[in-house]
Amino acid sequence: MYKAYKARKEVKKWRDQYVPLAPKVGDVAPDFELHDISGSKAIRLSDYRDKQPVALIFGSYT
Amino acid sequence: MSLRDIYEKYHDQVQFIIIYIREAHPIDGWWLGGGLFGLLLKIKGTKAIKDIYDPKTIDDRKQVASRCASELDYGIPTLVDDIDDPANRAYAATPTRMFLVGIDGRVVYAGGLGPWGFKPQELKNAIEKMLNKHS
Repeated sequence: MYKAYKARKEVKKWRDQYVPLAPKVGDVAPDFELHDISGSKAIRLSDYRDKQPVALIFGSYT
Repeated sequence: MSLRDIYEKYHDQVQFIIIYIREAHPIDGWWLGGGLFGLLLKIKGTKAIKDIYDPKTIDDRKQVASRCASELDYGIPTLVDDIDDPANRAYAATPTRMFLVGIDGRVVYAGGLGPWGFKPQELKNAIEKMLNKHS
């Protein structure tokens, strides 16, 4: 239980640091280059600029 | 309307991308598997709550992302955030969050943090508004 409590405190600290910096409506979306699950294909967000809108869905298994 | 429904309706007009990020509630972190809440999740059959550790290498992260994509079966392309969490930090995305980026590269919709702020209906409304504006 202590481990979970400690992890929760770390998450709160992380949020306090990064949430205020998250992009807001009208901001330029931060670019990234990430690989797909196989690791064989790299995709940049900017690849879609002037071509298609992008819906980004962030999440994990748990 | 579920995320899957939204994807099926708009995927010809909008590129959907899932970004697998750091585990929110792994066994070795802020685990929700203990206590009464954990018992309820186990009864409900949420398998992930039982056996997911936070991946420590990019290969481990790809493996869990692959399992997640396969079991949730959204059909949406999945990218894996690097182990130092660049995308997660840039978008303050933990545990879940959605954004809609317009064709000009600017944010059209910035969803709230999950689980309470994760609202697929808001994303759908933003997509419709954006598409209507450009039609």
